[in-house]
Amino acid sequence: MKKSLYVFSEGELKRKDNTLVFETQAGKRYLPVEDTKEIMAFGEVSFNKSLLEFISQKEILIHYFNHFGYYMGTFYPREHLNSGYMILKQAEHYQHPEKRLLIARAFVKGAYRNIRQVLKYYHNRGRELGELISLIENLGQGIEDCQEISQLMALEGHIREHYYHGFDIIINNRDFRFQERTRRPPKNFLNVLISFGNSIIYSMMLSEVYKTHLDPRIGFLHATNFRRFTLNLDVAEIFKPIIIDRLIFSLLDKNMITKDDFEHQVEGLLLKEKGKRVFVEELDRKLETTINIKSLGRNVSYRRLFRLELYKLEKHLMGEKVYEPFVASW
Amino acid sequence: MLENDLNVTGTLVWYYYICPREVWLMARNITPDQDNPNIDLGRFIGQNTYQRDKREISFGHIKVDVLRKEKGQLVIGEVKKSSKYEKSAFMQLAFYLLELRENGIEAVGELLFPKEKKRVKVELNNELIANIEKAKKDILRIIYQDAPQEPKKIVFCRNCAYAEFCWS
Repeated sequence: MKKSLYVFSEGELKRKDNTLVFETQAGKRYLPVEDTKEIMAFGEVSFNKSLLEFISQKEILIHYFNHFGYYMGTFYPREHLNSGYMILKQAEHYQHPEKRLLIARAFVKGAYRNIRQVLKYYHNRGRELGELISLIENLGQGIEDCQEISQLMALEGHIREHYYHGFDIIINNRDFRFQERTRRPPKNFLNVLISFGNSIIYSMMLSEVYKTHLDPRIGFLHATNFRRFTLNLDVAEIFKPIIIDRLIFSLLDKNMITKDDFEHQVEGLLLKEKGKRVFVEELDRKLETTINIKSLGRNVSYRRLFRLELYKLEKHLMGEKVYEPFVASW
Repeated sequence: MLENDLNVTGTLVWYYYICPREVWLMARNITPDQDNPNIDLGRFIGQNTYQRDKREISFGHIKVDVLRKEKGQLVIGEVKKSSKYEKSAFMQLAFYLLELRENGIEAVGELLFPKEKKRVKVELNNELIANIEKAKKDILRIIYQDAPQEPKKIVFCRNCAYAEFCWS
């Protein structure tokens, strides 16, 4: 499987003949271009047009993040997979209110079911989450009744709010209290980790959308405004609980990230470089683990599940098979 | 749904003898997973073999991998990674030969399997032509359908770059 390339240090990314090289004060590092799926630029990376030309040709995306680790944008090479048929189908399902609602509902259902799965996992390991689970299950019942996207969004927000309160019971660490969900800037360590993880998963999902015939600008749950990517946000909702949240729990449980990995700056809270590195290393490890997909008869990695989810969506748009979101079974 | 006039192409003939579902998908430009290593390998072999011949020649809407003249006879070659799909390759090349004949060009074909050091001659005859005509009609029938044929697990699924699309 091709790898994600994370760049944390300051330096220049260059094309060198037919490969990539990252030059820093410490020296040069050659990077195998054929083995690179995407570049995640966290550090101060400079590059020129010949680099952009080269990575466009190799169909590699560059996602860039600011100093605090928030997603800023993506260098998205020209579309290389074009199917007029698929774009029309996607637009048709976006424009038709009932069709759109059906897909949006599936995303919320997927997110809800995975949230429930995470809570159940910890409940079975002795955390007092029984009450919260029934509360969330009650809310989950309402998904089918939502007749408007805005209702769905609100319900999802509601479920997530309760879910986040379960974090304190799961994590049980005084340094990492949830309190409330805060973004830009996140107000405590835990919110920093959630935002950081979500940023990465959104950009990874975007890389997968690029490899399909879907248009990332046409989302179903998140409002489309044709200027920003939204489809990746939709599909990522399903995976956030089982990938990012679980990763955070395990990092904190093993003390791999502690309060010393953060610093207060004038503009907000910062996860230091070491913390970011540990986070992405463990995330990569998690994404490489494989599970067996029965219908496919193969093992696929978690990362590959992102793509399968998009394939399922394509088949839904084609009218072939109703989209059913992935739900973790453990 | 399909507004452009649909042409039967060599690629579609190739897929037709492997899996009709692929024909439908390919006709709508829903191409298979480009990250599949077999696709890369096929591309590499196509680009890096038979360097001494004329390569990648287009006539109208067909594209011929290799072209040469042997004793006054025009020979078109189709390069393939493996002979596992020989039937498909054979019919694809026969389709090209027929297209050329309809444009007044007589040629013979040769399937080239550089990895296996194997070659197979392809020459048009009445029976072959009848088979191609039949296949062309059936391909059009498939692509004008609203939905693709349901996936069916066949031996080719194992290495197919559409497998994850079909079976997810």
